[in-house]
Amino acid sequence: MSPGSSSQQLLEFIKFLRGRDVPISPADSLDAVHAASLLGYTDRSTLRDGLASVLAKSPHEEARYHEAFDIFFGLPTPRDDSDMASSTEPNDQNESSAEDTPDDTGDQPATPSSALAQAASSSSELSDLLDSSLVRALQSGDEASLSIAIEAAAREAEVDNIRLFTQRGQYTRRLLDALGETDLRDAAIQLEQKNPAAFHELQELRERLRLRARDRVERAYLVHASGDTEEFLDNTLAQVKLANISPHQMMRMRKLIERMARKLASRHGRQRKRHRRGQLNVPATLRASISTDGIPFTTRWKTVQRRRPQVMAICDVSGSVAAYAKFLLMFLYAVQDVLPRTRSFAFSSTLGEVTDWFEAMPVEEAVNAVNRTYGGATDYARAFQDFADQALMDIHSATTVIILGDARNNNSDPRLDLLAEIKSRCKRLIWLNPEPRVAWGSGDSAMLPVIRHCHLATECNNLKQLERIVDKLLADSRR
Amino acid sequence: METSFYQALNDIGGITTDFEQAGYICTTRIATVVYLAAQLNKPILVEGPPGVGKTELAKTCAAVINKPLVRLQCYEGLDEAKALYEWKYGKQLLYTQILKEQLGDMLEGAKGLKESIQRLHSTGDVFYAKEFLEPRPLLRAMEQEQGAVLLIDEIDKADFEFESLLLEVLSDFQVSIPEIGTVQARSKPIVFLTSNDTRDLSDALKRRCLHLHIPFPSIELEARIVAARVPELENKLTDQLVRFVHAVRELDLKKAPAISETIDWARSLLLLHAEQLDSRLVHDTLNVLLKYEEDIVEAEDQLTKLLKQTTA
Repeated sequence: MSPGSSSQQLLEFIKFLRGRDVPISPADSLDAVHAASLLGYTDRSTLRDGLASVLAKSPHEEARYHEAFDIFFGLPTPRDDSDMASSTEPNDQNESSAEDTPDDTGDQPATPSSALAQAASSSSELSDLLDSSLVRALQSGDEASLSIAIEAAAREAEVDNIRLFTQRGQYTRRLLDALGETDLRDAAIQLEQKNPAAFHELQELRERLRLRARDRVERAYLVHASGDTEEFLDNTLAQVKLANISPHQMMRMRKLIERMARKLASRHGRQRKRHRRGQLNVPATLRASISTDGIPFTTRWKTVQRRRPQVMAICDVSGSVAAYAKFLLMFLYAVQDVLPRTRSFAFSSTLGEVTDWFEAMPVEEAVNAVNRTYGGATDYARAFQDFADQALMDIHSATTVIILGDARNNNSDPRLDLLAEIKSRCKRLIWLNPEPRVAWGSGDSAMLPVIRHCHLATECNNLKQLERIVDKLLADSRR
Repeated sequence: METSFYQALNDIGGITTDFEQAGYICTTRIATVVYLAAQLNKPILVEGPPGVGKTELAKTCAAVINKPLVRLQCYEGLDEAKALYEWKYGKQLLYTQILKEQLGDMLEGAKGLKESIQRLHSTGDVFYAKEFLEPRPLLRAMEQEQGAVLLIDEIDKADFEFESLLLEVLSDFQVSIPEIGTVQARSKPIVFLTSNDTRDLSDALKRRCLHLHIPFPSIELEARIVAARVPELENKLTDQLVRFVHAVRELDLKKAPAISETIDWARSLLLLHAEQLDSRLVHDTLNVLLKYEEDIVEAEDQLTKLLKQTTA
């Protein structure tokens, strides 16, 4: 087993892992190759454990890694060893064994099945065919040479280019052709009339070969294509209007939000605190030096005292906007690592604080409960008034207020003076409107005057936009 | 090669037996990672719930290879002055005071400010030399001639900035001190970082580490661990006790009991000369195992059921 080809196999595996959303950098791959060469490829479970420590970086990724390892290297049966061996053999030898050349003279003769052998004795063509390494491997159940042949044929048929699940049939056929299965088929057709017993035996061999080929193609699909498909689905989902997301997509959606949140959290979390080390606080040092006769024995350093950033989210949960509120709140609570003090309020006609609900139950349940309690016809004036009563005093210069709503107030006065007061007290007031910008101001929408009272008013109706807003929010809250 | 310091860590089977002799039962997973860490010179990031033996692993490793253990406990606000090095300001000031007269002598006869400064320059940075450097754990670990085990405990408690500070230390085993230059490690220590998962670590740090997640052990493994730690306890009781703890972990608790609590409990039972688990005994000693009142209430409610599971 040459090291070059086994590391090739390892790199393929890494590509597979990447497709399954385990991020692996080139440096990680290098480490993996080092680790694998230290551990060797002979002890499977050691290799599995060792590579896990290099490639999987969280328990979450580790679970995926183990799953992927078992798929890629096959389950721990004798078969997987031969799979490993198969692609590590030099290429030219594979070609020859894939062709129907009876060159494996060194091999022990396979025990031919009776009816087929008898049929072969009367036909030289058939006996040549049966003598081919492929058929002998099939008959004797010689897994190693069978996988070598399949692996070589797979390369010839470019099976690894498979991209869509529906291409399986097509690629299986191509793989079988590359294996030289057409000869077997022709032989079977000839035998069908003449010798039914031998025909059945041959058919059985063909079926076994077909199953192996299909396995190989499916594995190629899992390894090379499923990752792309997942990514494609995620990308589409991120751009779909949030209100159109159906319940069966919620699982995927939630995962997507969690992933985006993790990404944002790690990007912004790093700058949680600003450092000022190395700057001497001269007055304090001088003051401290009085007791030592003016000699500054103890040094005092400058520190930064900052108010912790705070976010208040005010969400309209009336029918038209409820779906968006749900995702905004899910997102905000998913970044709690870096945005620890989020207070949330929900309103349609009356407004109430719902922060505690989110602490008491999982985000999704809480969102549903909020919808049930506060859903109804919207009244912005009342909502602003309630908010002012409950929370205006708590808004300080490090507070960001996010309001999510369509600003449609059923043609009554939305009390924008209260909004102006909120703006004057907080650091940033962001209004998110799920309606497209062109619809702002149409009908009973009071969005146009609202814009004046916000630091930022923006359209927000899919996950991509939402991610951008939260990203901005996190960036600002550090400043 | 640096790895020659750690010959005890040169094969996986050896690690397993050596650690076991030192009282730490490790799975092949753990042994494999320790082996890789020693061979690849990479730090190990150990994650898992509190009390599964993350810190213990580092201690045992130090004991097995017979090298000093340098420990850095992380907390919020930890900075380089406490982790890496600090100048001995007091000593610097004291010396300048003492040397005042000498300085006077030295500058005697110098014409003008320029010449005085030049004479001062000629002495070099005497006050920013190694003698005035106070090494903190990270630097201390790297100053060991014959290798060491460096334990950076609960890295998730430290700030994000601190992680960036670690990057240079962990990947190149060197420290940049502006006044002196880059200080290379005399020998590369074996580094363990532990994390309780209270927050996500940065990708840059994760990338430099080998990952080891230690979950709660299986019943068999935990029984072996308890037997190794509290050998005086009878096998039968050990077995009952471990099964009971596993049943308790299935409950909906605020904090599930970890291995350390199992061991504490085993020691308590030993002190009480217990021969087998019964409801009275469990009732009296449950506070060793569970740390929250509501958890204790929850477990007591189901005590008969739990006991039935364990003695069956």
